[in-house]
Amino acid sequence: MQPDPATLAMAWHAAQDLADGEVAFVGIGAPGLAAMIARRLHAPGITMIFESGVIGADPDKPPLSTGSPSVARGAAMLGSMMDVFAALQKGIIDVGLLSGAEVDRFGNLNSTVIGHYDRPTVRLPGSGGAHDIAVLARRTVLLMPHEPKRFVQRVSYVTSPGHPGVGPRRPGPGRGAGPAALATPRALFRFDDGEMTLAAVAPGFTADQAVEGIPWVVRRRQTLASLPPLPALDGPAFHFMHKGGAE
Amino acid sequence: MSLEQAIRGLVPSGSLVFVGGFGQCVPFAAGREIVRQGVTGLTLCRTGADILFDLLVAAGAAKEIVVGWFGNPGIGISHICRRALAEDRLRLRETSNFGLLLRLEAAAMGLPFLPTHVLAEGDLVPDGGRRSVVCPFTGLELTAVPALVPDVALVHAHRADPLGNVQSSGILGDTLAGARAARRIVVTVEKIVDPAEIRADPGSTILPAHLVSAVAEVPFGAWPSYVDGVYDRDDDYYRAFDRLSRDPAWVDNWVQDTRTGVAEVVAPARKAALVQAAHEPPHAA
Repeated sequence: MQPDPATLAMAWHAAQDLADGEVAFVGIGAPGLAAMIARRLHAPGITMIFESGVIGADPDKPPLSTGSPSVARGAAMLGSMMDVFAALQKGIIDVGLLSGAEVDRFGNLNSTVIGHYDRPTVRLPGSGGAHDIAVLARRTVLLMPHEPKRFVQRVSYVTSPGHPGVGPRRPGPGRGAGPAALATPRALFRFDDGEMTLAAVAPGFTADQAVEGIPWVVRRRQTLASLPPLPALDGPAFHFMHKGGAE
Repeated sequence: MSLEQAIRGLVPSGSLVFVGGFGQCVPFAAGREIVRQGVTGLTLCRTGADILFDLLVAAGAAKEIVVGWFGNPGIGISHICRRALAEDRLRLRETSNFGLLLRLEAAAMGLPFLPTHVLAEGDLVPDGGRRSVVCPFTGLELTAVPALVPDVALVHAHRADPLGNVQSSGILGDTLAGARAARRIVVTVEKIVDPAEIRADPGSTILPAHLVSAVAEVPFGAWPSYVDGVYDRDDDYYRAFDRLSRDPAWVDNWVQDTRTGVAEVVAPARKAALVQAAHEPPHAA
């Protein structure tokens, strides 16, 4: 299943926050794509870790699940789940990439229920490792499609905590610094003082379009940066998209 | 030992069952046998549930799940579990994947709880599933999670000898944590081999015979999941399942076909394709 252009753009924007040599805890879908793109361009030395225990992963195509053959194939090591979550808790994972059904202005993510917990409007699959990554990774990068209903003043259920709502999250033992950035297909937001703040806009979009439909007045940095344009889809960054076979 | 014998008596109704396999080696054949034997009232646990949970819930074998995540891996929500929850046929106790893993690791070490830095914030695990503890050495405040001791763990693996020494490779995820936590372990394997073959390569052994209660040979026993280097994951099945399992009538037929054995007949050409895909050489780094 190949990702659509908006998903690729979102992953590309998130990849801008990943540096060469970093250790990244990733998942399936756009978060994994971001690390795969970074690894093929500006961060060839990134170490990708999946919750299934796979360390130094190098999927040759977007994997369907964290335990899939494509995650294992070509990896540096197949460890246990405890290997990777223990490392996360020890505080040695530089960055965790996360998504969710809903996000709020402080970077709290909901992947559990929409509506009341006992009688939800929409039941979602739950945390998985997302809560653990949100709490323990040194920083997190969030990825959200530009769908206004996903942006809410306060998430109805905090699966993966973000910033506390009064200033930035304070890191400490067993506690990372929380969301550093949020990428959408249109923009990159930073969490200045712990609140989602428009920082950079993708080519072809205005600042107004970057926040269009978000139900609160989104803070903007005084000077907005421009995101680099999406590389050619037939170039090396996206070579993995054209592979056939099992995922 | 036959699969029928391995399951009968070792997975009684009402048991707490750890379901092994993380993407790979999901014990589908054992789950289908549980359905055939009409077992009921099970509580299933593992970190991230695969669609084997859907079968056991749809068939009325399971009434409760204890998980960090449930659904069709990489695809989304379990339509079967979602319906069962809404209709009060299923109870859900959820935590995070690390939270669930620590509960199993506590049991595997014979401890009543383990402390962790997660679960102190956010809305997960509200009632009694976590307590605050203070480290007696540093004064640091942590969250304690209670041991989870499965009555039985279901594990699928590459090979075992008749004594129950089990070997596997590839992604294991939380399988060994759950197996070590359980009171007994029931194993299915692709192939039963001579003990000498196991002892020629003891580094590949994941479970020793004295921990294993029963072992049965079931080739293709992890399908539609996969066995590293033997057959590939049937991604098309998982995708189709997402679509089909939305329809309660299809689900009823599927459960019925599982009882009669029709549901696990894989077309020879399909089988051959999955076997061939598993032997694809790794790409250059």
